[in-house]
Amino acid sequence: MTVTDPQLAPPPQTRPAIAARAVDVVKTYGRGEAAVRALDSASVAIPAGEFTAVMGPSGSGKSTLIHALAGLDGIDAGQVFIGDTDLTTLAERDRTLLRRERLGFVFQAFNLIPALTAAENIALPLTLAGKRPDPAWMNELVHMLGLANRLDHRPGQLSGGQQQRVAVGRALIARPELVFADEPTGNLDSRSGAALLAFLRDAARTYGQTIVMVTHDPVAAAYADRVVFLADGRIVDELTDPTAETVLARLAGLDATRLDEPVGA
Amino acid sequence: MWRLSLSNALAHRSRLALTWLAVALGVAFVAGSLVLTDTSTRLLDEQFRTTAAGVDLTVRGAAAFDAAMGVEVARDPLPADLAERVAGTAGVDRVRPVASGPGQLQVRGTAVEPAGPTILGTWAEAPFTAYTLRAGHAPHGEEVVLDAATAADHGIAVGDTVTVSATASRPLRVVGLTGIGDGDGLTNSTVVLVDLPTAQTLLDLGSGVTAVDVIAADGVAVPDLRADLAAALGAQYAVTGGQDAAAASADAAKESINYLRIVLLALAAAGLVVGAFLIANTFGIVLTHRARELALLRAAGATGRQVLGLVLGEALLVGLTGAAGGTAVGVGAAYALRGFASSAGLALPDGPLTVTVRTLVVGLVAGTLITLLAALGPARRAARTAPVEAMRVSDPAPAGPRRGRLITGWILLGLGVVQLGTAALLRQIVGVGLGAVLLLAALVVLGPVLAPRLAQAVGRPLTGLGVPGQLARESIVRNPRRTAATAMALALGLALISFVAVLGSSVKAIGASSTEAITADLLVQSSRDEMLGGLSPEVAARVAALPEVAATSSVRFGHWLDGDMTSALTAVDPATLPQVADVQMTGGALAALDGGGVVLAADVAAERGLTVGDTLAMTFSRDGEQRLRVVGLMADDSARALSTSYVLSLGTYAQHFSENVDATVYVALADGVGPAAARTALRAAVADFPNAEVLDQAEAAAGRAAAVGQVLGLITVLLGFAVLIALLGITNTLALSIVERTREIGLLRAVGMTRAQLSWMVRAEAVLIAAVAVVTGVALGLGLAAATLAGLSADNALVIEVPVGQLLAVVATAVLAGLVAGLLPARRAARLDVLTAIATQ
Ligand SMILES: Nc1ncnc2c1ncn2[C@@H]1O[C@H](COP(=O)(O)OP(=O)(O)OP(=O)(O)O)[C@@H](O)[C@H]1O
Ligand SMILES: [Mg+2]
Repeated sequence: MTVTDPQLAPPPQTRPAIAARAVDVVKTYGRGEAAVRALDSASVAIPAGEFTAVMGPSGSGKSTLIHALAGLDGIDAGQVFIGDTDLTTLAERDRTLLRRERLGFVFQAFNLIPALTAAENIALPLTLAGKRPDPAWMNELVHMLGLANRLDHRPGQLSGGQQQRVAVGRALIARPELVFADEPTGNLDSRSGAALLAFLRDAARTYGQTIVMVTHDPVAAAYADRVVFLADGRIVDELTDPTAETVLARLAGLDATRLDEPVGA
Repeated sequence: MWRLSLSNALAHRSRLALTWLAVALGVAFVAGSLVLTDTSTRLLDEQFRTTAAGVDLTVRGAAAFDAAMGVEVARDPLPADLAERVAGTAGVDRVRPVASGPGQLQVRGTAVEPAGPTILGTWAEAPFTAYTLRAGHAPHGEEVVLDAATAADHGIAVGDTVTVSATASRPLRVVGLTGIGDGDGLTNSTVVLVDLPTAQTLLDLGSGVTAVDVIAADGVAVPDLRADLAAALGAQYAVTGGQDAAAASADAAKESINYLRIVLLALAAAGLVVGAFLIANTFGIVLTHRARELALLRAAGATGRQVLGLVLGEALLVGLTGAAGGTAVGVGAAYALRGFASSAGLALPDGPLTVTVRTLVVGLVAGTLITLLAALGPARRAARTAPVEAMRVSDPAPAGPRRGRLITGWILLGLGVVQLGTAALLRQIVGVGLGAVLLLAALVVLGPVLAPRLAQAVGRPLTGLGVPGQLARESIVRNPRRTAATAMALALGLALISFVAVLGSSVKAIGASSTEAITADLLVQSSRDEMLGGLSPEVAARVAALPEVAATSSVRFGHWLDGDMTSALTAVDPATLPQVADVQMTGGALAALDGGGVVLAADVAAERGLTVGDTLAMTFSRDGEQRLRVVGLMADDSARALSTSYVLSLGTYAQHFSENVDATVYVALADGVGPAAARTALRAAVADFPNAEVLDQAEAAAGRAAAVGQVLGLITVLLGFAVLIALLGITNTLALSIVERTREIGLLRAVGMTRAQLSWMVRAEAVLIAAVAVVTGVALGLGLAAATLAGLSADNALVIEVPVGQLLAVVATAVLAGLVAGLLPARRAARLDVLTAIATQ
């Protein structure tokens, strides 16, 4: 087994400073005339223990980037590392096992298995690996997420916000090195969204959980420690300790430069 | 709307493909059965017509009915001078006296046993017959002409000597080979032609003949001549058109094909019903998947009716095209069915296939109707889709069963069980049938309630096997209607198979026990499966003359009309029967049969309210309705040993029947004679009657069991076809449910479910459905078989033999097949690309 057992993983502070890296990643969809370079030599490093937001115009490659980082999708050129593991050298099965043991996911919608209860959904990555969740950690997570009295409910009986919180619980249950979230608040009203974002930020601060979140919303991005900006498949900018205002300003600048420069230049 | 139906059906063609296949398979079975039986019927017709080619009228002995249970009745021989009387009638050009009947042929000591009859006839050339000499010359005296096909098959040449037997047996020299019409012979038959005196000797007719063929003079209207002849000859003789007589002969042969048709169509119907479940399921799933699209249509102003029409339009397309494809394939299926039938010992004429308009219409209509009916439920549910559902984000949870359904279901189930139980106790087979129908209806209605519970119970071990197992069970339980329909289809097929298996082994057990009353050491029977047996009386005479034999007793069978129903009776020799059988009388005496009259089985007598001294009206072919006095009642076991519930003496039989063949000769051996030595002696004595087979009781029982086994084997193979359709149903349902769960599968893969785990999960679902079906099906089959046996056994002791090994094999096969059915969907699921799956809307 090349994969570290998450429960025996070293505490966050002794982890390498970089949790994940993309090095000159190229990803092209389609062929010939219709080819789209979703990632065009994108390089980024995700610092461990931080909450990183990824922003950029629609179609700029945000989802593609985190899919590549998470090993959900192959890439055409470049390298992707989770910790020190080079994903591009792993077989499909090993990538699956790595996802199960070292990564967590929150999607924009349809995050849960309808047949399983909230508690079962949270425990899913561990049960798939044939393990049981650590009861203390489970308990803590559930209380922090405010799901204590919803554990036996099925997804269909939960509100959208509760469903997303269950998804976050699932992403964190295995204490992964890295959690990816693609527009986790996209379908939530601002209050539920804020609660979820606050929780993610606390997870990063309290437990040193590394989180990468894609978002369109400057207010959401302001919860992060750092924002990277993507345009046309490349990292074009970066901002630490963002506020909604600074993010908005950068975005405006980004759009302006994008409009100035001829496409593909 | 029509164009929308069309484009929808095309858009979902991959999902409808298996449905299409199910319709096509079911229809192919229907069409194949019709084509096969039509073809056989036509070929038989043609044969009989060819042989009667140029004959205008045929004079035979009068008969109250022409044929019974697929056997043409024998008629009294006509007096020798009748031909001259007929010839003397005005308007008759030429006459030909004919002696013909069933015969046997032996070449170099080996019996020639065609699949059909061996016809012993009188040689004549055109215009009386369609015989055309291919080699040699017409037979005279100790000479014979054979059909060219048989000669070729058995390497017989002109100049060879063969043994021909009917009532008597003679060695005859082959002097000619003949074709019949354009053909070399008759399919599945052997034709043996001799001159009139030889035929009369072989058939033991004395100077009599079996028929007089008549050709009318030029310019004479045949119907007029027929009336004239009938008037001139009197009621004792029947004058029929030559072609009509041929048609009557053909009808007798066709009757057994009608039975085959009924069995085949019943099995085809089972296939279609199983297919209907599959169709209903597919439409249900596809429509659930499209609920939002339909809601959008409704929101855009489509009425519920229009949505209904839209869905039914799609069903119509699938049904029509599937039925058309199936009908086309059915023609090929007819060949396969013919092969199956012949391997089960059913001889059907070989020849080019007949495809009638009726076959096409029945195939198309059956396929289309069943599809429409099956789609009606899902279509109505779709039509009820509320427009607001278009706005709903999450997929609607599948609706649970409604209260009305539950109540109806439980009531039906209760009624069914009670009806089945009482009918079984009261031994009423009709009541059992009604109970079975109620029970099946209850299962269809209650399926969505019962199937998930059963799945939960049967699937308990799965939960111990981690998330894939748990998810497999959950997804089965989550869609009760779908699970129920998929499992029900398979359960039905398995129920029928277990039903047939239990019935078969029980019938064999009954067959073995029924002969206990027979004490004979050996018996001689016809090796051919003639319904009335076919032993020449000469056989009994020769056996009786052997020193090894202490006593013999012959038994004959006959058909009679009981009101409108054809029934069978047994004729025995009351003097010798007690030496070979232990007949228990419950009233009167067996010996009283000597004075005429009939002995009844006690249960039949009770049913008819008859007792010793009453009279019973019986209609015989030879002399019409007769009133016979009931002279005795016998125990039911004895009746079963004698095969029928009505027993006459051989003397009474001879008065009312023209048939002159024994079915069985029972033999009691002299003291001190070993069975092996006795057999050798018996065989030698009857060697020139190739159909006479010497057996002991165990062999005779085994032979009967083998015959039952063959037919049941054929039925089981054909039922396997329904099971195949049901398995397609599992594949289809799972494949569709995987399409439906694409996002869920993507999510599972994203959070770390391996491909192996995923395909395991899908296969577990398939096996679970199969397991539910196995439990339901086998239980249902066993229950129905027990009730049916009880219903059929009347007052007899109930014998139920459960073939445990066979049933276990069915169970194992079904579960394995379920695993196979899940392979394809499992592969498909495992191959789903994680990202596309997540991105699916
Ligand atoms: N499966 C695919 N096939 C073809 N092109 C694709 C595919 N997925 C993404 N693309 C293209 O790649 C580019 C980047 O897509 P991506 O989904 O990463 O953008 P995004 O930044 O996440 O956009 P959004 O904010 O709208 O979610 C886009 O131009 C998109 O059209
Ligand atoms: Mg995106």
